[in-house]
Amino acid sequence: MKILIIEDERGLRESIEEYFAEAGNVCETASTYAEALGKVNLYRYDCILLDITLPGGTGIEILKALKEGGHTDGVLIISAKNSLDDRLEGLDLGADDYLVKPFHLSELRARVSAIIRRKSFNGNNILQFHEIAIDLLAKSVKVKNQGIKLTRKEYALLLYFVANKGKVVSKNAIAEHLWGDGIDMANNFDFIYSHIKNLRKKLLEGGSNDYIQAAYGMGYKFTDQ
Amino acid sequence: MKLLARYNRVTLATTIVVMLITGIIYYVAIKLILINDVDKDLVVEENEIFEYVNQNHQLPQVFESNEQQITFTGARPGSVTRQFVDTLYKNIPSGRHRHHHHRGEEFESGRGLISSVAVGAKYYQILIVKSTVETEDLLKIIVGITLGVILLLLLVLFMTNRLLLNRLWQPFHNLLKELRLFNISDNRSILQPETNIDEFKELNQAVAAMSSRVKNDYKDLKTFTENASHELLTPIAVINSKLDSLLQTENFSQQQSKLLNDLYGAVSRLTRLNHAMLLLVKIENHLVGERQAVDVRRVVDELIIQFEEIFHDKELKVNYKLSDLIIDTNPYLLDVLLNNLLSNAIRHNLHSGEISIQLAANKLIIRNTGENVALQTDQVFKRFQKSSSSEGSGLGLTISKQICENLGFTLDYKFDGRFHSFTTTF
Repeated sequence: MKILIIEDERGLRESIEEYFAEAGNVCETASTYAEALGKVNLYRYDCILLDITLPGGTGIEILKALKEGGHTDGVLIISAKNSLDDRLEGLDLGADDYLVKPFHLSELRARVSAIIRRKSFNGNNILQFHEIAIDLLAKSVKVKNQGIKLTRKEYALLLYFVANKGKVVSKNAIAEHLWGDGIDMANNFDFIYSHIKNLRKKLLEGGSNDYIQAAYGMGYKFTDQ
Repeated sequence: MKLLARYNRVTLATTIVVMLITGIIYYVAIKLILINDVDKDLVVEENEIFEYVNQNHQLPQVFESNEQQITFTGARPGSVTRQFVDTLYKNIPSGRHRHHHHRGEEFESGRGLISSVAVGAKYYQILIVKSTVETEDLLKIIVGITLGVILLLLLVLFMTNRLLLNRLWQPFHNLLKELRLFNISDNRSILQPETNIDEFKELNQAVAAMSSRVKNDYKDLKTFTENASHELLTPIAVINSKLDSLLQTENFSQQQSKLLNDLYGAVSRLTRLNHAMLLLVKIENHLVGERQAVDVRRVVDELIIQFEEIFHDKELKVNYKLSDLIIDTNPYLLDVLLNNLLSNAIRHNLHSGEISIQLAANKLIIRNTGENVALQTDQVFKRFQKSSSSEGSGLGLTISKQICENLGFTLDYKFDGRFHSFTTTF
């Protein structure tokens, strides 16, 4: 997939670029309004990560230019502004999603994957990972064509893992993805472990390979290697 | 003490004292004048006696008349000094008085002149006594009238002071009412009550200037908080993303993993604190969306499901009794409010403690066990008031309170010996 990262903060831009860089992905970056506008007018992307505050202009103007040009690139706004109005304005103007800074790269990745899936599948709602088939519309999962029954959280977890395959995902990121901000009240993240254990058990019972690996007590990695 | 009461007390006291002093002076002066008059009469009488003795060389016939008695008594020559004395006048009552007094005679105050006369070789002391009853009556009337006038004056003074001062202070009371309504965070400015009095005009202006200055300072402070929080978000975002990137590099020792975990925890706490500050500023600025019908029961239900794992994690026993309730409010803020209150009940709970959630006709009561000490009611909703062990932002309850004020709810805290309860009245 082809991704454009429009972000003026160098550190953040580089981290995102690095996280998305892998075989089959093309990442381009832009750090100013002018640079971003130039690229958006010239090339098409599967998903554009758009910061709102840019030197020389705003991300909202870029979004408008994009929509005026009739382009259908997926747009994910990444902004420090967490107000409902900003969010609504972005979404009204045709952005596909809105992510508030700071975020986990795995969360960003999951959102981008969701946008690209929606844009490109065109009626094909099945996400395949080896023998695991996820029906995004029915929210059901099949392993080797046999349905397995997952809870809501296990399903979300699986989707999150697949989007971040090959990456170590921190427990914090998983917890925030599944439980939102309220998660800080927990003593520890042991209950994440029980969800992961259950998911893994169900996948293995369905006949899948074991893709979930614990990573140094900090998180998990979903990988086929 | 009211200004009016104080003022009345002082003016009344001084008026009474001054009136009393003038009254006394008045009384003494009149008395002196009247006594002087009586004394003159006595001297006239004395002279008549002398004349009579001169012409007739004998004492005049003593007779009772005109409230006046004359007595002659023999005395050693030269032993009598001429003097005026206050004495008693023995009144032999006439017929019309008799039935009033069972005794045959009565004593009245009188004024006497002691003098002496020599008739031939004999020496006599003369005592002329005149009744001063009429003088006294006159004095009494004068004093009475004076006292009456004083009382009337006092009453009039009191009433006018009351009416006048109340009227005069009206602009002050109006301003006071305005000041009570003053709220630093709303946009309403202080209304200046109409007045022609310079002092009150000055007060009005000073208050108006002060309130606008305070509001400006407050606004600056809020803007600063907002900007600071925003500026902080970018470096936090960088730290967060760098941590995620660091995690992708292989082979961590156990010690390194522990360090990384702690870093993650600290960064996410920082993030939450920042979001909380921004949210608070936003709520205080009334920058919240529109109202719509919200099913409170559903919101609570979803929250309970959301927190299920955390209840299990802390082994909390959760009882809930929810009745249907649909209110017209801002769904986003309501969500934040309920989330904060429930988080609070979990965060400050004991391990394997209890939480009870009750949604009744117009109120939501969230009760939780916790430390068996009541929180200070006036401190509990203040910013950054939190137990040292708390991992929270210290803004949760402040935000909750602010949201309630914003949406027109009330939020109250109570402790009944076992449960800390927060009641939201919609």
